[in-house]
Amino acid sequence: MNQKNNLIIGIIIAAVVAASYNVGADPAEFVKGIPNLGIIVEEAVQIEPELLGTAFVSMFETIEMAFIGTIVGAAISLPLSMLAARNLNSKYVYGPIRAVLAAIRTLPSILWAILFVIMVGLGPFAGILATIMYTIGFMTKLQYESVEAVDSDPVDAVNAIGVSKSQLIRYVIMPESAAHLLSQLLYTFDYNVRHTSILGLVGAGGIGFYIINYIKFFEYGKAAVFMLVVLATVLVIDWISVKIRDKYIVKTQRGMEVKARIKTS
Amino acid sequence: MTLLTISSTNPSLANISKISTKTLVQMNDVWASYDSKNYVLREITLSIDNGVNYAIVGQSGSGKSTLLKLMNGMMKPSKGQVKINYQTPDMHDKKFKRVMSKIGYIPQSLGLIKNLTVIDNVLIGALPRIGKLKSFFKMFPENEIKEAEKILKLVGLEDKLERKTYMLSGGEKRRVAIARALVQKPELLLADEIVSELDHVTAREIMNLVADAQRTFNLTSVMVHHNMQLALEYANRVAVIKEGQKILEIGVEGDRIVDFQTGNMTQKEIMELYKE
Repeated sequence: MNQKNNLIIGIIIAAVVAASYNVGADPAEFVKGIPNLGIIVEEAVQIEPELLGTAFVSMFETIEMAFIGTIVGAAISLPLSMLAARNLNSKYVYGPIRAVLAAIRTLPSILWAILFVIMVGLGPFAGILATIMYTIGFMTKLQYESVEAVDSDPVDAVNAIGVSKSQLIRYVIMPESAAHLLSQLLYTFDYNVRHTSILGLVGAGGIGFYIINYIKFFEYGKAAVFMLVVLATVLVIDWISVKIRDKYIVKTQRGMEVKARIKTS
Repeated sequence: MTLLTISSTNPSLANISKISTKTLVQMNDVWASYDSKNYVLREITLSIDNGVNYAIVGQSGSGKSTLLKLMNGMMKPSKGQVKINYQTPDMHDKKFKRVMSKIGYIPQSLGLIKNLTVIDNVLIGALPRIGKLKSFFKMFPENEIKEAEKILKLVGLEDKLERKTYMLSGGEKRRVAIARALVQKPELLLADEIVSELDHVTAREIMNLVADAQRTFNLTSVMVHHNMQLALEYANRVAVIKEGQKILEIGVEGDRIVDFQTGNMTQKEIMELYKE
């Protein structure tokens, strides 16, 4: 058994080496290039603080884009996820919807951005549309998986009352999966802020537009200001979502349930 | 409690009572299976008249819960015929949904929505009477809310209306489940081992509560029990299920057994069951 494992590891390493040779990935080049990184760092530390104002304004625009994209995307993906859940629909309903969703997920957000720049022109609107598409593809999958994970006992008990499917969704599926859905919303927003930051690369607005342009003109100091703002923003959003999660999500999980039980008994 | 005395059946009396009452549940030679190979229920024939408190007793895995699922249409029999209120149960049939709305079903797990409040859980029982749009926006009519509050007072939870159900004790959760079933204004109440995990005192409280509700609302009930003692105390007909077959059915009047139909069970075995 051990020998077999060693053989498999050996084959994987050989495959990595062969593939690297094939695509011309030479570690020596990497070592040779390290001094170049020094030049960039040297320029990047010469930060130009007067650009901070512009950086914050464009970061705010990016957050707005991510916010609209996340909310609109989530509003579309919620009903879609109910249709794509296997425990609520026949295969003739969830099958085609899942196929469309898989197709939407095939394109990364940057390709959606290029597509929408062609459609609606340069600017944040193209970025928003790209974020919406990406959010639909990604979030619907997460949501229908949580819907399918809902405990079947309350579903059966309420179904036995003779309620309609929309009532079942409203009174069982939504409350039972609410913690997961909120968690996914926060995660998607967090993720959308990061990736909307780079949509500017293709002219779809936001802070990425400045970053790519300064890098193009070798002004690493200016680009660094904008990248630091992105970093700070992402950290702040991360902190806020942890707080929201603690307040609204962890409460409904098992730990608190046990605590509450001890209190009442 | 004095020991039960077994008296012989009086067929003429039994016939008279059948003529004057409606048969709510009728099963004829019913077989049921989850995998179409192994039968969890075999040759089940029973009939439950309006107003009867029927108990099904048996050990785990004997097919008791399956019997309840056949009654509310959550499961279809592999063979044989089931009629509830003269209709064939099928949860996917729109016509039967109306019948389902009048069957209160309390599964062993209770099936409460843990993130909803007590009052919201109970109002779920009223959903079949509420329009889709109104129920989507949680716009329950005033009389439905009042009715739910009245029933919650009956089960002793009037001061916990806004409490989330995951914060309740085991006994309180059962009260919520009973209230949800009663809000349905049911004709038939199906309850699956709802007191089996409770301590002795709480179990009696819950059983007394159900008995009170049965009298108040003139309910027919089918309750599954693990414990023969509880069944004999609270039901007026008891069926014993063993390995998927009905081995015994008795009628109980106070502390006397008045009707006795046995399959292949000896008297000694019956008394063994009673000792449990």
